[in-house]
Amino acid sequence: MASLAGSSISMQPRHALATSRVSGLKLVSFMNQGRSSLSYGLRLMPSRLRISCAAKPETVDKVCEIVRKQLAVPSEKPVTGDSKFAELGADSLDTVEIVMGLEEEFGITVEEDNAQNISTVLDAAELIDKLCGEKSA
Amino acid sequence: MNIRCFQRNFSAAFPPLVPLQLPSPMETHLWYILPDEVKNSALLNQYSELLSPCERESVSRMRGDQLKKRALLARALVRTTIARYQTNCQMNPRSLRFRKNLYGKPEVEWRNEDNFNPPPLHFNISHTSAMIACGVTVNVPIGIDIEENQRRTKNNIIAFAQRYFSPYEVKVLTAISDPEVQRQEFIKLWTLKEAYVKALGKGFSAVPFKTFTIRFRDTTMRKFHPPESSVSEESDIVVESSEDPTDPAKNWRCALLEVAGSHYGAICVEKDRIAGENAPMKLTVWKTVPFVEDVCVSGTDAVLVLGGIIEQ
Repeated sequence: MASLAGSSISMQPRHALATSRVSGLKLVSFMNQGRSSLSYGLRLMPSRLRISCAAKPETVDKVCEIVRKQLAVPSEKPVTGDSKFAELGADSLDTVEIVMGLEEEFGITVEEDNAQNISTVLDAAELIDKLCGEKSA
Repeated sequence: MNIRCFQRNFSAAFPPLVPLQLPSPMETHLWYILPDEVKNSALLNQYSELLSPCERESVSRMRGDQLKKRALLARALVRTTIARYQTNCQMNPRSLRFRKNLYGKPEVEWRNEDNFNPPPLHFNISHTSAMIACGVTVNVPIGIDIEENQRRTKNNIIAFAQRYFSPYEVKVLTAISDPEVQRQEFIKLWTLKEAYVKALGKGFSAVPFKTFTIRFRDTTMRKFHPPESSVSEESDIVVESSEDPTDPAKNWRCALLEVAGSHYGAICVEKDRIAGENAPMKLTVWKTVPFVEDVCVSGTDAVLVLGGIIEQ
């Protein structure tokens, strides 16, 4: 994740940008795979961003993979940071299984009050990064 | 004229819902829809007309036609079910408003208007891909949960139980040697625990699964019921809280059913003070296609009691 010096806007992970929260903008797909895409991305950067996003792209990807597997989402249906578990058809047992899968994958423990607030892939990824960060602190 | 009354001229699109008396304080009503039986797109459109714009938007956000249909039927079931219990006049299911309590549990928002005494109705819904259910009580909170009886977990059952269930429950599950029986008992236990948490209505962080135990207890009550009575003779279901010294878990009555041969269903209802400690749960179950057909299935093969003292 790169930051623009002197500004509070940070580069968004590819998945998080494909969000309907950005008003008045068509979906932008970043063609780049690497990180040296700062200037390329900036031109397309919308003015209103979710500045609080702190999830690493690889965390989001891993969460998407676990969610996709748990909910048996067909490959043609997208699962992205913005995906809500409920909208993908997760019931309460699925959600708990997903949390358990994430705990095992990342070696963390998710307490119930944190788990209750997870409704999207991004929520999960942010929590994981936070817990992983605390673990290594 | 009370504007909430169902005006005759608007009812042309639907036959009216068959009106029903409110459940008595000791009764629990359970309504369920089998989505596979609802295929008529005109009917689905009519259901869609019942929803608030916000609900319709939520439905449209579900990914895929089956999920959209399920979400639509869930809202239609809740609205039509509550609207059946008329007080002064027939309620229009479309005009019901809902809100969430402090912890996110959905409830009806009755409008405070003159001459309108809102019925003290409580409800709770649960759905799977093959069934949507709505439980209704009067005066006391209710929680329900259904799961397909063939449901498999991705995680190992004992690992899952060790992570989330109480030590006693883990012990019970571990003692089951047949993996299929173990899987079934796990799903049943899951539905009971979910139903209890949903009945409490405080969110699962307020009552983590590990902090209470649900178990079956043989009861001596059965000998007091005459053979021809419709009271089930299954073991009673007991909820024990490991945290609260005053043990409020004693106030809850649980039932475990197998519905339509395909689902386990758990119902958890707060005991009514008038009804008394050991009164059975009086349960009536309907299979419904709102506006088309309601079938009372209590006492038939569609409702198999697996646990709890229940009178059908």
